[in-house]
Amino acid sequence: MKTNPDAPVIALRGLKKRYGIGDAEHTVLDGVDLVIEKGEFIAIMGPSGCGKTTLLNILGLLDRADDGDYFLADRSVESLSARRHANIRSEQIGFVFQNFNLVPRLNVIENVALPLTYKGIRKTKRLQLASKMLQTFHLSEREYYMPWQLSGGQTQRVAIARALVNSPSIVLADEPTGNLDSKASHVIMEELSDIHKRGNTIIMVTHNPSLTTYASRVITMLDGKIDSDTKTLQPTVKVDTTKKRLDTHAAEAPKEKTLRSRRPAKRKTIKKGASK
Amino acid sequence: MRLLVLNHIQNAYDSLRSTRMRTNLTMLGVTIGVASITLILSLSGGATKVITDQVDELGGNIAVVRPGDVPQTTRLDNIASPMNHSYATSSLTERDMKAIRLVPGVEAVAPVMLVGGNVAAGNNSSSNTPIVATTPDLISISNLTVKDGQFIDSVTNRDTAVIGAQLSVDLFGTDQSIGQNFKIRGQDFTVIGVLKRANKPINYNNIDFDHAAIVSLESGKSFNQGVAQIQQIDIKATDQNSLPSVVEGTKKALGAAHKNEHDFSVLSGDDLSRPTSQLFFAVAAAMTAVAAISLIVGGIGIMNIMLVTVAERTREIGIRKALGASNGHITAQFLIESLAIGIGGGLFGYIAGYLLAFIVSRSVLTFDPLFSWQIAGLAIGTSVVVGILFGLYPAIRASRKDPIEALRQYH
Ligand SMILES: Nc1ncnc2c1ncn2[C@@H]1O[C@H](COP(=O)(O)OP(=O)(O)OP(=O)(O)O)[C@@H](O)[C@H]1O
Ligand SMILES: [Mg+2]
Repeated sequence: MKTNPDAPVIALRGLKKRYGIGDAEHTVLDGVDLVIEKGEFIAIMGPSGCGKTTLLNILGLLDRADDGDYFLADRSVESLSARRHANIRSEQIGFVFQNFNLVPRLNVIENVALPLTYKGIRKTKRLQLASKMLQTFHLSEREYYMPWQLSGGQTQRVAIARALVNSPSIVLADEPTGNLDSKASHVIMEELSDIHKRGNTIIMVTHNPSLTTYASRVITMLDGKIDSDTKTLQPTVKVDTTKKRLDTHAAEAPKEKTLRSRRPAKRKTIKKGASK
Repeated sequence: MRLLVLNHIQNAYDSLRSTRMRTNLTMLGVTIGVASITLILSLSGGATKVITDQVDELGGNIAVVRPGDVPQTTRLDNIASPMNHSYATSSLTERDMKAIRLVPGVEAVAPVMLVGGNVAAGNNSSSNTPIVATTPDLISISNLTVKDGQFIDSVTNRDTAVIGAQLSVDLFGTDQSIGQNFKIRGQDFTVIGVLKRANKPINYNNIDFDHAAIVSLESGKSFNQGVAQIQQIDIKATDQNSLPSVVEGTKKALGAAHKNEHDFSVLSGDDLSRPTSQLFFAVAAAMTAVAAISLIVGGIGIMNIMLVTVAERTREIGIRKALGASNGHITAQFLIESLAIGIGGGLFGYIAGYLLAFIVSRSVLTFDPLFSWQIAGLAIGTSVVVGILFGLYPAIRASRKDPIEALRQYH
């Protein structure tokens, strides 16, 4: 991974994914081109079924594209072994699933500690780290609950804690706030911002436009294609908005957050279609 | 990697505990298999030890000549026949005895000729009394003790006999039977001596002397048209160190006498100590079959239950892979689980085997089962092999699952 420090973390070229065969075949990703630099905070939006989860699965090395190239830190993932994939998932990627995917046999703290297991960290240390992570998400009293004893929102927070516990450099979050009220959502977003500020890359799918304020770049998908991208059309926006957000964020009262968070909708997210 | 093994063990423990009934039933096959193995080995080991101890007690200087080429103990195909046929038409003769006596280092030689037939006194009769025709040397070679009277010797009459303590009780109702008369195959014999109770039904002569009637070789021959049918020749060397040369010398002497035809075998040490009872071998063979079958069935049970476990936990496998588990991690996780079932079954089997061995030895046998680390090692080794062998396929299958396919599985 240390081949070229300036290379984009992720580069996709003509990525395609099809499901089904024959008449039933339909294309879910239809030529996605995307370059993500290190340290970006990307929000992906788009209608249900447009392929966001599919894209995230491919980015997280859980699924394979049928066509096109995926370069991770300048290396084609196709060329890497399954073992290397596992290693990358373990060392670099934190994945928040849309449907949480906690292991039902294991309690909350064991679930959160699970990624650390595969990094070879000692058990006591694992539980310490997991406990600390849970504390961040106000789940300390739920450590020994089983997944089925949690509310939807708690489950989601556990899933996020698990994704972040091994301090991944790439966080892939599929609707991490889908089950949360706005206050809880912001707690999560603050945490992601924190991780982002430490120089890590975050790619988040969300249906909530107000949360895109936290992002440095917003991508809208439609029918398996990238419909709009705040970066490619306005390359300077990224830097500006990030800076602005970070600056204002610290000073602003929570009440104003909602106002501010509506702003990206009005932002000049110029649609590709509009230029036609 | 070591840390992960600990983690896998913990994981296997939790998972097996949560399906305790299923796990126990799966273990049962291995348990029965290992119990059978332990039972056979501990009992045969115990029997061997009895004889070894006897031989050692006698100074470790005993060798035995038996008819037939291969030592009977290793001839598994002999198990089916109820009686050892080579005993019936023995190739050993009185001439062989004389030849052995000339071998340097030989202190004493005694033949054992078993005569078939009934023993009767008054209304009491017994059909399975071993009737032994031999020479006076047997008393020293086999360490027999005469309680009353005397042993047969060169000057005693042909129609005298020495009887075991139990036979005396069976025939005359008392162990004070000197001077009493009884019949062997209709011929009259007078008791001149009663042996001290030895309680050693297992010995290298394969004769329970407590139940035996001992007559002179001359009398024995008279039951067999004057020909000595010798089933075994016992040899006593002057001391333990000369035993190997005595064995060699005996082989050479007999080889010459038999025109180099190998229709005899000279046994000493461990060969001599191994149990020779046909019944024992029949039981051992049956137990071995039980062990083999139950280990295979148990192994298939493990494989079956592991495949179910893997199917049930497909989603978990997907999650674990998504969180960074490699194929190796997943293989190890499930392999350790099947290994735990195997070892658990083996442990229970080992304990059950010894419990059974003690029950059997206390109720029908006269010796205790043998404890040795070899048996423990074999029991655990077998269960480890079964656990790994039959767990490998399910574990590899689990590890090969595609993460996204696994994650899509719903239950
Ligand atoms: N295994 C599959 N087999 C067939 N079709 C699939 C499969 N997985 C996803 N699809 C289809 O791919 C399309 C995109 O699915 P995806 O989960 O990526 O949508 P999404 O953008 O994440 O939607 P949402 O916002 O509702 O989560 C959907 O039409 C879905 O039906
Ligand atoms: Mg989705």
